[in-house]
Amino acid sequence: MSTGGGEKGSGGGGSVKTPADFLKSIRGRPVVVKLNSGVDYRGILACLDGYMNIAMEQTEEYVNGQLKNKYGDAFIRGNNVLYISTSKRTLAEGA
Amino acid sequence: MAFFSNFNWRKKQGLVEGGHSMASEEESTVKEPLDLIRLSLDERIYVKLRSDRELRGKLHAYDQHLNMILGDVEEIITTVEIDDETYEEIVRTTKRTVPFLFVRGDGVILVSPPLRTA
Repeated sequence: MSTGGGEKGSGGGGSVKTPADFLKSIRGRPVVVKLNSGVDYRGILACLDGYMNIAMEQTEEYVNGQLKNKYGDAFIRGNNVLYISTSKRTLAEGA
Repeated sequence: MAFFSNFNWRKKQGLVEGGHSMASEEESTVKEPLDLIRLSLDERIYVKLRSDRELRGKLHAYDQHLNMILGDVEEIITTVEIDDETYEEIVRTTKRTVPFLFVRGDGVILVSPPLRTA
């Protein structure tokens, strides 16, 4: 069973050892954050803390796989987070 | 505001880090997500709550639990009814305005500057 809330990202961080190391290594990367409610948020991870509180930029909200909302900046309270995963998301929208 | 003196309101002061210290060797001032909320103090924000509720109001204060004080707040409650006969989903929204509101942090899902989507 995996400990902590993340998976190893593909494309970097080959020497990730603990969940804390993972959290330190993924800042600035495009991520997928899934909440306990099932809602998906994709964006660029600005920062996070030990409670899994998350600050993201250019965030998109997906409900049932459908894009519902876009947020320029988003703060997500950590207790709602199911997982944080890195993704190879390409930025389609302009700044 | 003596009523609120018992709470840990942080109004533009240095924040105590919540959770484990994330300071790494290469950075002396690590930005926490709560630090970024601090930038929104006295600004209007959008808050997504549990139970399909949303708030838009001016952020006066907050703490590490995401307890918040909001002013000039509009609350939107979204409900989906399913018609017994046609089985269609009827989405309703209920709005109300509250001049001054305390939000308990455990209901907060997301905080953001107001949406600009058309």
